[in-house]
Amino acid sequence: MAHATTEPAAELVLDLAGPGAPPRRNGELAFDEPWQGRLFGLTMALCQRGLIDFERFRQHLITEIAHWEAENPDGAGYTYWDRWQAALEQLLDQSGRLDAPTLTARASALSTRPPGHDHGHDHEH
Amino acid sequence: MSAATQATGAAPDRPPTNAERTEALEALLIERGFVTAADVDGIVERFRSDLGPMVGARMVAKAWLDPAYKQRLLDDPDSVLAELDVGTSQTEHLVVVENTPEVHNVVVCTLCSCYPWAVLGLPPAWYKDPAYRSRIVREPRAVLVEMGLDLDEGTEIRVWDSSAEVRYLVLPMPPDDDDQIGGLDVDELAELVSRDAMIGVARAGTR
Amino acid sequence: MAVSIVATGVARTNVDQFRHAIERIPPIEYLAAGYYGRWIRAAGDLLDGSGALDGAELPPPPPAGSLRAVDRPPRFSTGDRVRARDMHTDGHTRLPGYCRGREGVVVMVHPSFVFPDTNSRRAGEQPQHVYAVRFEASTLWGEEAESDVAVHVDLFEDYLEAA
Repeated sequence: MAHATTEPAAELVLDLAGPGAPPRRNGELAFDEPWQGRLFGLTMALCQRGLIDFERFRQHLITEIAHWEAENPDGAGYTYWDRWQAALEQLLDQSGRLDAPTLTARASALSTRPPGHDHGHDHEH
Repeated sequence: MSAATQATGAAPDRPPTNAERTEALEALLIERGFVTAADVDGIVERFRSDLGPMVGARMVAKAWLDPAYKQRLLDDPDSVLAELDVGTSQTEHLVVVENTPEVHNVVVCTLCSCYPWAVLGLPPAWYKDPAYRSRIVREPRAVLVEMGLDLDEGTEIRVWDSSAEVRYLVLPMPPDDDDQIGGLDVDELAELVSRDAMIGVARAGTR
Repeated sequence: MAVSIVATGVARTNVDQFRHAIERIPPIEYLAAGYYGRWIRAAGDLLDGSGALDGAELPPPPPAGSLRAVDRPPRFSTGDRVRARDMHTDGHTRLPGYCRGREGVVVMVHPSFVFPDTNSRRAGEQPQHVYAVRFEASTLWGEEAESDVAVHVDLFEDYLEAA
């Protein structure tokens, strides 16, 4: 009989309903694009390794969602995982793990790659 | 794409995409030794393929196709689970209860909302709500109607309150329509089995 | 407060309206009422003692691995008529209030597990068998009971006496 448990942080985030809830279909987490799954996994890995505190992240997420909704009253263009990404980046910046300019510079460098650079690479992580 | 961006190192003519930001984030965090790629791979894989109702759905679909497997599932579901090596279990003892034309089963945990994670993935919010938990033992027929399930009058309803460490899984009946399901394989049949059907608040074949 | 809004609403709503009602609960209150109480401060603090949880207990998390082997055979067998004791404990218990003092029939003998009542009080694991006991709805709810309904409750051996 397997006794292993799921990571407490993952149980906790997936237990959310209301504004902080990740989208789900039929009980499964819904990732529309691979980067979203990657982002989720990255966040959980950071929690598991103690680099970020999950409660703090969740508060950032809820605050980030609320801010977005205040600035976009019609709600058009809302993507949950965009908010998650913003919240994670803020938390990493605030906690001194990864400052925003460094991240932006690296992301910009990636965006200059010629098209087709990753055709040989399996996007389905 | 313009010729300028065909060359490496050219200034971007657009901001980075979310995918690129995430890729950059991961690369930097790995470089700094905060996480490894394997950490992330493992979590993503577990949540995409292991943690969801597909484990339960496949068990149901196989039971529909194979009477011997179905009997084993009813008699000794723990051994079936052990073969699957699901690994996410807090399920120490699983019981499978079968729906028939005469008997309909539905599961609850009135005390807190215990749920068979290993086979059904994430519990829905309504399952955890005090209103469901208190009403399903008291007036199951009415609650099921509200949730869209209308049973024939005279169908016996069995509510299973998982008040201890035993977890329950409902084996729903296959959809009536032979045209719909005849000739489907396990994977295709499994898609007709929703989490809600395995809790007992919906029929299979309706999603 | 928030939960009682949902509770009164659900009588006349379908599951989607019901979910929507949950999603309208302000996040801090929902988080306070969240199931995984071991990471969330006691619900009472954040709900300002409103009593909104209607007596539903948030039990401590189950210990990882509660299956235990016991030497002695199970006291009851399938088909036995039993009564759930009318016990009131100060501590943690997994005997649901609605079946206390009621008679039912054993339909399944489960394996034995750590007994949460004593284990949570650090009075020992006292592993024992668990039984699925079938109670007819009329036994539990009297005249209000729907017809053709039976509720099965998983009960530890110490919760039961022969009827």
